[in-house]
Amino acid sequence: MTSSTMTDTTDFAALVDEERGHISRRIYADPQVYDAEQEKLFRRAWCFLAHESEVPNPGDYVERQLAGERILVIHGKDGVIRAFLNSCRHRGMRLCRADKGNATFLRCPYHGWSYSSEGELVSVFAEELYHEDNLDKADLGLIPVTQVETYKGFIFGSWSAETPALTEYLGDMRFYLDILVARTPGGVEVVGPPQCWEVHTNWKFATDNFTGDNFHLYTAHGSVAELGMLPPDPMALSFGNLIQAHKGHVLHIVPGPPIPQAEYFGVPMELRPLIEDTLSPQQADLAKGHAFSVGTVFPNLSFMQVMVQGDLYSAPTPFLSFRIWQPTGPTTTKVWSWLMVEKEASPEYRKATYEAYVRTFGPSGIFEQDDMENWEECTRMNTGAVAQRYNLHHGMALHVPADRDFPGPGNAWPGSYGERTQLCFYGEWKRWLTMEEPWA
Amino acid sequence: MTTQVPLGSADYNQVLEWLYREAALLDSGQFESWLALMAPDISYEMPTRQSVYPKDGEGYSHDFGFFAENHASLETRVKRLGTEQAWAEQPGSRTRHFVSNLLLDQSDSGEFHAATCFMVTRIRSDLPYDFFTGERRDVLRMTDDGLRLAKRTILFDQTVLKSYNLSIFL
Repeated sequence: MTSSTMTDTTDFAALVDEERGHISRRIYADPQVYDAEQEKLFRRAWCFLAHESEVPNPGDYVERQLAGERILVIHGKDGVIRAFLNSCRHRGMRLCRADKGNATFLRCPYHGWSYSSEGELVSVFAEELYHEDNLDKADLGLIPVTQVETYKGFIFGSWSAETPALTEYLGDMRFYLDILVARTPGGVEVVGPPQCWEVHTNWKFATDNFTGDNFHLYTAHGSVAELGMLPPDPMALSFGNLIQAHKGHVLHIVPGPPIPQAEYFGVPMELRPLIEDTLSPQQADLAKGHAFSVGTVFPNLSFMQVMVQGDLYSAPTPFLSFRIWQPTGPTTTKVWSWLMVEKEASPEYRKATYEAYVRTFGPSGIFEQDDMENWEECTRMNTGAVAQRYNLHHGMALHVPADRDFPGPGNAWPGSYGERTQLCFYGEWKRWLTMEEPWA
Repeated sequence: MTTQVPLGSADYNQVLEWLYREAALLDSGQFESWLALMAPDISYEMPTRQSVYPKDGEGYSHDFGFFAENHASLETRVKRLGTEQAWAEQPGSRTRHFVSNLLLDQSDSGEFHAATCFMVTRIRSDLPYDFFTGERRDVLRMTDDGLRLAKRTILFDQTVLKSYNLSIFL
């Protein structure tokens, strides 16, 4: 572990004051913060790698990144999904150079070392030229991601053996995740490959936005409000709750208008009996009462379940998107965005949910294109030495007492306009940067 | 069935001029006039692309993309640009649409199938260039008011969009 102070002796802990709601601008721009995050956060925490529906058959693989290093997520011939560093043990060559594919064996393009879909080194070019003591193939398999676990189809990896099991790490966030991804017997699957794009922002501006910032809607997305695609009252979406499900895992949950179409997040009527049968009564009640939920699985897997009009004339249509905000530098982020849909969804609903998503979110969406404008310009401004003398303000609705009667686990606060959940995220971020065992 | 329309023919010149005039409308921010060139049943799509080995094809997704637009959604995008809060385009991008390599076919029904290469440059604020390159596959239909775009498929060269947004039309 590196020290928890920066070269000017600032303690990382001093960068976040979650009691007062003050955040140092340095966390969004300082290379030392980035290096510390890579070591203490991204090489320890459970990070999302892929969804099982992306690698449904033996031999299927996708290339992903974990803490900035290229990973192969591969469905072995034995049926087990594993994750390995995508690097040959001979010269380190990038083994698979496609984003996805299917392979019986993974053969290195440089000197031909070949691996099974289970990661074992099975053959070496000119093997007879090695002395038997100097080529232990059993010890030269692909380098596995230290821990790989799957929750409801979501494959996570961690580079640390000490990080607790995924179920413990997710804690009560599972209760809320289930409402989104396991509300029907089949669960969800991806609709095609992810959209990927690059943003000159610090990854935490994206998570900040996805940790329950519901109050940016009427300013950042003022254009869409101006077109009448948001309710006219800027406080119309301020209801619902901010929720700290478990440690840094946070979300908001917001009711829609009081019409049946907006219940169960707006999913089609034919799916609703499945939800009632699949979720617990407590979860099903929450699903019934809400239309929107946006949140983040700490550190950088975010989700949004929203109903939106794809154009001026269409009815609001729901979609569910998951994102990775992958840091690629102190001020650069690669975004991966998947659209997910219930396995039981009809072709008509798949088309409708895709169109609603792509017209409004992702880099071309009429909402999200403006988000990135904000995140990039925030990042640029916060790189300034003078700017960094002044903290940022995260103080909205911190005085509002918790809602003790909220029918779900964790801590919930009434109203979805507030900065409580952002501070839960930053507080957890601070713990990972400064503590040997942040999970303890 | 389609037949090739030879370079230099009246039909070829007409389609090429339409493409140039369309580019000029986009580059000068005349989005309402651009929208007027779209057929009511316009389909405007841009699939995502992945890097795959040749045995797996070209890597375009059939299920997912960056655009899946019809006339109503293009109209919404244009109207959004006309608001005063479309931050991604306020101040606006400065774009240049370079359209070339037109290969033109005509179907038996009279529709033109125009395949072109495009390079679009964009500059915002004082930031570096964005370069967007790819192929357009257009279907153009002659009407009493002139040619109208009935279908555009944008085959993008980047697998990872090397820009923070696509707030422009390609």
